[in-house]
Amino acid sequence: MRLLRSNLRKAEVLPRIRDLVEVLYREIPSGVGSKGKIRLSPDDERKLLVKGATWAVENGFGEPADIDKTESGGRIDGADPSLISSRAYERGRAQQGTLGSGNHFLEIQYVDEIYDEKAAQSLGLFTDQVTVMIHTGSRGFGHQVCTDFLEVMERAAVKYGITLYDRELACAPVRSAEAADYLAAMRAAANYAWANRQCIMHWTREAFMRVLSSSPRSLGLGLIYDVAHNIAKVEEHTVNGEKKKLMVHRKGATRAFPPGHPELPGIYRHLGQPVLIPGDMGRASFVLLGTEQAMQETFGSTCHGAGRVLSRHQAIRQAKGRRIWKELEEKGIIVRSAGRETLAEEMSEAYKDISEVVDVVHRAGISKKVARLRPLGVVKG
Amino acid sequence: MVLEKLRRLDETKLELPLDFKQGMRVPGVIYVDSRLEKELEAHSIDQVANVATLPGIVKQSAAMPDIHTGYGFPIGGVAAFDMKEGIISPGGVGYDIN
Repeated sequence: MRLLRSNLRKAEVLPRIRDLVEVLYREIPSGVGSKGKIRLSPDDERKLLVKGATWAVENGFGEPADIDKTESGGRIDGADPSLISSRAYERGRAQQGTLGSGNHFLEIQYVDEIYDEKAAQSLGLFTDQVTVMIHTGSRGFGHQVCTDFLEVMERAAVKYGITLYDRELACAPVRSAEAADYLAAMRAAANYAWANRQCIMHWTREAFMRVLSSSPRSLGLGLIYDVAHNIAKVEEHTVNGEKKKLMVHRKGATRAFPPGHPELPGIYRHLGQPVLIPGDMGRASFVLLGTEQAMQETFGSTCHGAGRVLSRHQAIRQAKGRRIWKELEEKGIIVRSAGRETLAEEMSEAYKDISEVVDVVHRAGISKKVARLRPLGVVKG
Repeated sequence: MVLEKLRRLDETKLELPLDFKQGMRVPGVIYVDSRLEKELEAHSIDQVANVATLPGIVKQSAAMPDIHTGYGFPIGGVAAFDMKEGIISPGGVGYDIN
């Protein structure tokens, strides 16, 4: 999940919103199995898996300042490209720099409500400001890593005598070779995802410059933050008054570290970690901050999005005969999608109301609301 | 799994006590208010309990208000494991590693 700020106000962008959505749709490949414009040599491929977003910046996609505002500096240590299957390489090769399908998207938004003026100011957010949100991950590459290691873990669970209440919980002891291999491959996939979002952000900046005939300085399209929400990490937490290293699994959950945490970039250390929560394409998204209470209660974690209430299949059935793009246009949201069924699968009714979800984590104290963002234009896979 | 055993801890949290399901090593906690509680799927609640049975799990098996059914572990789930006694599971991260 990645969020960019800008110097633009909603009124400046509205007259060009159709062109912007069109150019972004054309410049950023999307859809199932979409192929990107980045062609990597085997050597570059391995470098990307180890260096993540820093590989992208070194190769001209974005600025060094972006790295400071990316979780783990956009590069998690311990990735090992030699543990990746040839099938994963094949699937990932052409997909670097692509949005993908399903719930992945690129959205032009505006800030429509601010809950914490001081925090918003520190993040560079103001009312009516245009923002851009990018949601994509490790594409077919990470999917194959997961598939490959589920097989490994099913055998490992038997080998180490772990009782599984559900076969899908396949796992291995943290200290085993199988666990070390999975972790090193998963880290390569996380780095692939960080590089992917970095490249897509770069093309987003270019598209804005072209459509609005504007300079990078006047657009001010700066990264606010980039945060993972499907990842396992070794972190230090206090359990029963004792500091302990733990293997924290977050699956559809976002890290929400409190003010003062050493892993936060200097500019945000006094503030707490920015947390980016996308809603469905018809409603809203939120910017939150991590809290001390999240650290105490949930290993520094909060929600990650709206959460589905309808399966993709159910949503397609319910949307039959409706023109979702038209319904969205009537609400002032311009949408462009690659897949025939994507808009039906992703319609608002398929999701919980993001405002209700965010209100719960805010009231529970495991993160706090800073701003609400409304969609203006959406590119879907 | 006995759904009647779900216990409201406070306005934003539901608890799955240790006797919610056989084999649970720690309790489960789901961050939902009474409104979002109505949208919980039985299968995803069961998945929170399943995660609580895994070796070396620390403190609790947690889920956020955007919880829904995933592969093995619920989407919206947070689980931490001891570095000596614990496990690592691809299902705890999912297919869309990001």
